Amino acid sequence: MARQAPARTVRGSWAGRLIRNILLWIVPVWLVWMALTPLYNRFLATAGENLLLMAESPNVTDLLVQGAHTAHIQRRDFPPSRSLVRSIRVTDLHFHLVLLATLFLAVPGVPWRERLSNLAWAVLIAIFFHLLLLFFWVKFVYATQLGSWSVAHYGPVARNLFGLGKHLLDLPFKLSLPLVLWAAFYIGRMLEELRGESSA
Amino acid sequence: MSRKPAPATPPSVEPFWRRYRREITFLAVFLVLLGGSFTLISVQWVNDHAIEPFTAGIARVSGAVLDLLGQNVTMQGTIIRNPRFAVNIRNGCNGVEAMLIFLAAVLAFPASWRSRLLGLGLGILAIQVVNLIRVVALFLTGIYFPRLFDTSHTVIWQTLVILSGVLLWIFWANRFAAPAPAEPAA
Repeated sequence: MARQAPARTVRGSWAGRLIRNILLWIVPVWLVWMALTPLYNRFLATAGENLLLMAESPNVTDLLVQGAHTAHIQRRDFPPSRSLVRSIRVTDLHFHLVLLATLFLAVPGVPWRERLSNLAWAVLIAIFFHLLLLFFWVKFVYATQLGSWSVAHYGPVARNLFGLGKHLLDLPFKLSLPLVLWAAFYIGRMLEELRGESSA
Repeated sequence: MSRKPAPATPPSVEPFWRRYRREITFLAVFLVLLGGSFTLISVQWVNDHAIEPFTAGIARVSGAVLDLLGQNVTMQGTIIRNPRFAVNIRNGCNGVEAMLIFLAAVLAFPASWRSRLLGLGLGILAIQVVNLIRVVALFLTGIYFPRLFDTSHTVIWQTLVILSGVLLWIFWANRFAAPAPAEPAA
């Protein structure tokens, strides 16, 4: 007679503990992220500006931080009355860190040292992603948002590249990065846990 | 002449692909589906004929709920307005992003097609319910707490909608998509 598999309840399973831990971690992680955001925005603006300067000649772009959340894109080669070309809400580039840190801290059955080490790698990758996104944001503004100036200085290929690049980085990849990085570290463990429970 | 038996490969030098096959397969399928679907919806024709009508439908349902809450709103395409506030529901606010991330995660996960279709049906419905709550809550935030609107709009609600998608995916994977036990090594 075939043995009936026990019914899996979400509460007692590995996945159930993961969901519970996510709900428990999200608020503390959010508070830490909010506290660190002004500092991180300043770092991103400075590092992003340096990255932009590496890609342009002559060097004309400044990213001026204003307040806790915003940076102004300034072009020094524009007349002073038009030199501030656009504002970026820098905080919007990295709010997915809340979900990323929550997912990494919530995995049950992983030693703290390994959990924190994996989180550190994921955050490091996310920082590079934020710099790339900021770079594409500024280039998107230059290539598509400045009217005749954009058309005169960027060809159709560049306008499409920076337009589509910014669209893909700013929506799908930004929003899915926490899940992508979590899956890179933990999908194998998740499958093993689920297989173990279904065959128990 | 006798052939020497090939030395057994120690587990530490197991090829990278074999060692991380499940992770690489999941991520590759997930990223291809995600990149492909988002490139598709960025095509003007698809946006005009599928995304805009879908978003207008979300605006109508949200407007109906706001009317039930006594807000007396009028709708014009994707815009909801009353004398005190107006919102335009655009890409990023229509739940399509969360739906596509959920779709890619469900299709990339090893499961039967029956489980996948069940997960997609229920998950997409649940994400749209969360998104409806988001639109209504944002409209009310704009009226009663306008200073919180910007933060609420992006940071709080986008995180919550994506979080709901991730939680639904974990729930689905655990409850409906139990992967078959691994085959014993030959």
